[in-house]
Amino acid sequence: MSYTAEQGIEAACIALGLQRGRKNVLRSVDCTFKPYELTAVVGPNGAGKSSLLQCLSGVQRPSAGRIVFNGEDAGRLAASQRARLGAFLPQSETPAWSLCAADMVALGLLPWGRLPDREQRVQQALLLVDAQAFAERPVTQLSGGELRRVQLARLLVGRAPLLIADEPTAALDIRHQLQLMQNFRSLADSGKTVVLALHDLSLAARFCDRILLMLDGALLAQGAPQAVLTPSLIGEAYGVSCEFRWRDGIADFVPLDLLRKSSG
Amino acid sequence: MLKHNKSAVFLLIAALPVALIGALGSGPVSVDLVSALAEGWGGQSSDAVILWQLRLPRALLALLVGAALGMGGAAMQGMLRNPLAEPALLGVSSGAALVAVLFLYYGTAWKSGWLLQALAIGGAFSAAAAVWLLAGRGASAGRLVLAGVAINAFLSALIALALNYAPSMFAMQEVVFWLMGSLANRGWDQLLLALPFLGLGAVCLFFTRNYLRALALGEDSAASLGFQSRMYPFIILLGIASAVGGAVAVAGTIGFVGLVVPHLVRPLVRQDPAKLLWVSALAGALLLLLADILVINVVGAQELRIGAVTAFIGAPFFFWLIVNARRGQWL
Repeated sequence: MSYTAEQGIEAACIALGLQRGRKNVLRSVDCTFKPYELTAVVGPNGAGKSSLLQCLSGVQRPSAGRIVFNGEDAGRLAASQRARLGAFLPQSETPAWSLCAADMVALGLLPWGRLPDREQRVQQALLLVDAQAFAERPVTQLSGGELRRVQLARLLVGRAPLLIADEPTAALDIRHQLQLMQNFRSLADSGKTVVLALHDLSLAARFCDRILLMLDGALLAQGAPQAVLTPSLIGEAYGVSCEFRWRDGIADFVPLDLLRKSSG
Repeated sequence: MLKHNKSAVFLLIAALPVALIGALGSGPVSVDLVSALAEGWGGQSSDAVILWQLRLPRALLALLVGAALGMGGAAMQGMLRNPLAEPALLGVSSGAALVAVLFLYYGTAWKSGWLLQALAIGGAFSAAAAVWLLAGRGASAGRLVLAGVAINAFLSALIALALNYAPSMFAMQEVVFWLMGSLANRGWDQLLLALPFLGLGAVCLFFTRNYLRALALGEDSAASLGFQSRMYPFIILLGIASAVGGAVAVAGTIGFVGLVVPHLVRPLVRQDPAKLLWVSALAGALLLLLADILVINVVGAQELRIGAVTAFIGAPFFFWLIVNARRGQWL
């Protein structure tokens, strides 16, 4: 089985479950991520967004269910092959050494060995996140947002058809949030399968094709933004009353007040 | 700081033969190096015997032991993502030392050129096996090292106990000197015994180089780059048991090389944990050879122990690390 970035990849989670200690952090999650689609995974803290992304990327082995890439069980793939299919950016990633930004980005190419166009790819990825200016700076001297952009370049530098990022916009200023979402949008439009965990519901509504709303390790709803981001579903998931104002496909999300929430 | 300093690495490589000549020329009697070398391996003159049977194996052993310690330190720091890690943390050195201590007490009846060293290597591997069993199947790097620290503490306690109940003052003195490390009176026997273990260890550690690279980003990111297998920490444990265990078995416990050397050369390799492995091996070899030249040339009532010399260089470096940390670079 071999894929190229151009072919795209359809990743399906089937009855996915994950246990951490005694807690079921994922409970029978069924969902499919398709090429050309930008999907946002949203939900309150502890809903299981990161766990879902970790299982999808192969960082976590699910304790129940399975993940299927284009019809084949991803659990049977060799680790290196799986790394070439899906790239993943965890929620937090602290570099251990003062690598310079360009060297850190180049680590994203490890699954492919020595590519001939390695230097160009690194420069391109840095350009995508607007980070060429500090390509040679040690990552330990970057600000939080600058570091995040370098990490995103590390995610984008490879050729994986499936891109997974856990809260990529956290720590970024509004300009770079917009730029990043536009990048992910155009990557999806070019045939990549993109999955992002997001907290910003306005960004999710505006840029994503599909939204997965999670609560307590299970899927509460999934579908188009207009169908999922409704005051009643958001109220149920977050315990917050809210308002969505839709203008030309751009959602303006306004949280209003706390709702009394039954403790699950 | 970040500039890839190729010339510094070349300088390091060029310094090795110079130091080697220095080591061959050092000793209590002066030797005509050129004619002794010209006589070749089988030379019968006293100069040739001193050079080929005493000085050359000792110098080569210093290079090999230093390389093993440097590389082991680089691998440990890479695996733990911590610049304060050193190979002795895994307990393999204590395993080798404990066996050596017991042998020096009770095994002197079968004294031979290499039996002590062979048994000490067995001790290093036994300690590594104990660490692996304690950490359990599929242990993360962190749990593996925690198990190593526990085993190391226990073995150190046993060594202290053995010293406590030393059968004689003479035996105790011999043990203390062994624990301080020395390359004196080591010959081809010890070199040939250690060589396969050092080689195996180097191969193991080199095999994990891309894992160490990916691990610079953290365990989750390394896993997403295809390095989630728990096999890698185990291979590093095996590599360190083999390389450092072999080194300690023939030379005694030599501290600080594994800690200091990776720090010294990290800027030369743009902080790359993979290149750090072999450049640390080079620098470790050079440092230990230089330390041994110092040992040979300092004449006193007692032979100076190389473990004391490296610690003497190493401890001030620790001070420097702390001062640097105080300036807010890390910690």
